[in-house]
Amino acid sequence: MGLLSWFSGESEADKRATEIRTGTVAPSRAERQRCWDARDAYFSCLDANGIFDALKEDKKAAKACGTQSREFEKDCATQWVTYFKKWRVQEIQKKARLKELEAQGAIKMDVNTDFASRK
Amino acid sequence: MSHFTTPARAVGNALSKAPLRQSSRLMSTCLNASSAARPAARCVSRAQLHQQLAQRRTFKTVEEAKSRYRSGPFTWKAGILFVVTAAGLLYYFEHEKERMRHKRIADSQKGVGAPKVGGAFELVNHDGQTFTDKDLKGRYSLVYFGFTHCPDICPEELDKMARMFDLVQAERPGALTPVFVTCDPARDGPKELKEYLAEFHPAFVGLTGTYEQIKAMCKAYRVYFSTPAKVQPGQDYLVDHSIYFYLMDPEGDFVEALGRQHSPDQAAKVILAHMKEWKGLPQAA
Repeated sequence: MGLLSWFSGESEADKRATEIRTGTVAPSRAERQRCWDARDAYFSCLDANGIFDALKEDKKAAKACGTQSREFEKDCATQWVTYFKKWRVQEIQKKARLKELEAQGAIKMDVNTDFASRK
Repeated sequence: MSHFTTPARAVGNALSKAPLRQSSRLMSTCLNASSAARPAARCVSRAQLHQQLAQRRTFKTVEEAKSRYRSGPFTWKAGILFVVTAAGLLYYFEHEKERMRHKRIADSQKGVGAPKVGGAFELVNHDGQTFTDKDLKGRYSLVYFGFTHCPDICPEELDKMARMFDLVQAERPGALTPVFVTCDPARDGPKELKEYLAEFHPAFVGLTGTYEQIKAMCKAYRVYFSTPAKVQPGQDYLVDHSIYFYLMDPEGDFVEALGRQHSPDQAAKVILAHMKEWKGLPQAA
């Protein structure tokens, strides 16, 4: 893909996008936001299709959310894509665990790890 | 019940015949023998006690004795003095308590056995100039560790840091230096840091260095550091790191760690509260 576009004459924007995907450059604020938006769209598609782990259920995810997945992978660094997918699994587990604890009657408390008391 | 009443009455009889000197002792005896059925015994003992007190103190008239007995040692002067002293002491103790609380928090990090966070370092700032711990002396500093390729947490935290810096800056201009130290020196050079931080706050100082320098810096600040030492060119990776803001005092000693649970407002309040105890003010912002 990279080779093909290189032969066809890569534009500045494409070059930049490739650099972000490979992690050669860090994305700017606007580029980060674009990546996060693509991620959120992809995740809501996964939610709608009841997909829990996009890495393990990759075939199912590709079939159900192919368009969003392509956008997500286009706008984010490859490392970020993997990171966000793992993060989503943990986040779902965390929320489920919290719900379970709440059902058992656990009390949510704010924990301060510093030494000063809040007023 | 009847066999209780009988001894009580006996005490009462004995009391009425007892000499005056013993009356006070007898009164306690009388009260200890708890029974509702002997008001006579109590009456007798009280009367005797009163008589004894009147005998000990010599007053000229009955009125004088009565008035002295009513007011006790109280005078208006003494009362006002008491209230003023109490208010003064209360204010002083409250003030001292608050001051000591802050001092204790700051000192808890300096004492023997307490974790020593921070220390001497030599790095390069985002303009490529040498930057050491001496450049942070003389004002408070807020130190944050991260990397420019950070997916979500660092950018969020840096936006927070910019807001809390502005809040502190509004109250105490020039009292705080915001510092960002990269954990990824291989990819974050001065140029990258400058570009990256400019999008968060123009006042942010970006610091980088060699792998060894950054590793030493992270160790000094007790920051978990997982950056691979040798990275293949073009290889992408993420870095795990601690996500605390370290508040350091003007001498370069650790004061407090501010975490994700603090809102920018809360964090700014904590910082300003520590600064209240600080006497030195920088001359210029």
